[in-house]
Amino acid sequence: MECVVQGIIETQHVEALEILLQGLCGVPKERLRIHELCLKSGPNLGAVASEVRLLCDLEQPEPTWTVRHVGGAMRGAGAEQISVLVRTVVESKASKNVLRFFYTLGYKLDHELLRVGFAFHFQRGAQITVTVTSVNKMLKLHATEEAVPVTPGIQLVEVTAPASSDNYTEVVAAISSFCEYLAPLLHLSKPNVSAGVVPTAAAAAASLMSNGGGKTL
Amino acid sequence: MPLKWLLHWQPNAGTTVNSQILSEVSQCVESINGAKEGRWKSTLTFYRPVLRDQTLQAEYPRDCLGISLQEQPNKYYFILRSQRIVLEADSTIQMIMEKLQSYKSRVSLYFEGFQYQLGDFQLRVGKVVPTHSENLRGIVMEVEYLPISSLDKSRQIMEDFVDIWQETVSKRSLPGHFMHIEPNFAEYGLSDHYTSQHTAVQYAIVMAQLIASVRN
Repeated sequence: MECVVQGIIETQHVEALEILLQGLCGVPKERLRIHELCLKSGPNLGAVASEVRLLCDLEQPEPTWTVRHVGGAMRGAGAEQISVLVRTVVESKASKNVLRFFYTLGYKLDHELLRVGFAFHFQRGAQITVTVTSVNKMLKLHATEEAVPVTPGIQLVEVTAPASSDNYTEVVAAISSFCEYLAPLLHLSKPNVSAGVVPTAAAAAASLMSNGGGKTL
Repeated sequence: MPLKWLLHWQPNAGTTVNSQILSEVSQCVESINGAKEGRWKSTLTFYRPVLRDQTLQAEYPRDCLGISLQEQPNKYYFILRSQRIVLEADSTIQMIMEKLQSYKSRVSLYFEGFQYQLGDFQLRVGKVVPTHSENLRGIVMEVEYLPISSLDKSRQIMEDFVDIWQETVSKRSLPGHFMHIEPNFAEYGLSDHYTSQHTAVQYAIVMAQLIASVRN
């Protein structure tokens, strides 16, 4: 399982966000360059349609592949009330022929994206990861060198943490608490519940930039 | 990692494999001073596509095998023999396949038995049984040569060992003999340097042989 919130930030404020996160984290950021291929089952395959994502980490000297299945979100009155999405996720590393494997099984490429940015990892009541990425689409099949932003000027921020059925309430609380640090710059909410950019972002960013980096909070 | 050859028992025409043969084979290993060490078990599972229109079956692989190997407890292997694909993944890939519901696991077989140390060789003699029965479907033997990882460099030594082994077994006048089929690993994108992916491919080939023997 994982707990997730998302938000958007204007590209011009990403540097300020990075300063803020660096201050909170104390450890250098991890660069991200991930080619994400979303595969869907062909029309005849399976009693119900299925979807699987292949993530190719292009930042490594030798690209590594991960298979990722995102399951349904937790439902019910309890789930409606919490501001963090809780969903099942299963991941597996795989050898580099995994795309060919799924094609042979009967899966088709639905869309592909290139996510470029960075990540910070925190241990604050839960193992929290904050990723800040521009989401890019490829103009030609698999042409990652020629990707262009889907939303120029806007980047996606995701805050995630792994969880289990035993501890998800604590993880939700840890994420909600952590998000308060980021509130001046961006609003984080469940995916698909868009809140847009934050009006105070410009002022907050200016403040962070003028204070400079290296200030640990 | 050290390389291994996977041998399988080929019964003579008109005969079938039985537990007496398995017992005799184990005694053969002990007769050449193989030191019994412990148990081993690998599992092979057949996956079949779930299709809405069965008439389109030919468009989908019907030979999808999933393999869990003793030597790699955190990994899982898928082999699509017709397309010469071997995929290595974490064992969580099984959970992903279950959630996708596009391919369902049908029959599973255990390859299990005892392991023996014999100088630089490690031997594993095993029976092939369905997971919910003791119905013997075959006998296999892994011959692992510990000092070398290169398939080419080890070929002569392995052939010599298997010759000695075949001679030892033949003295028991059993209705069959061990066979070794070397897959064309290059077709699977595998190199001369041995890995668990090579082992997975050998199991898939042996499985095909066992099925063919039963049919014949």
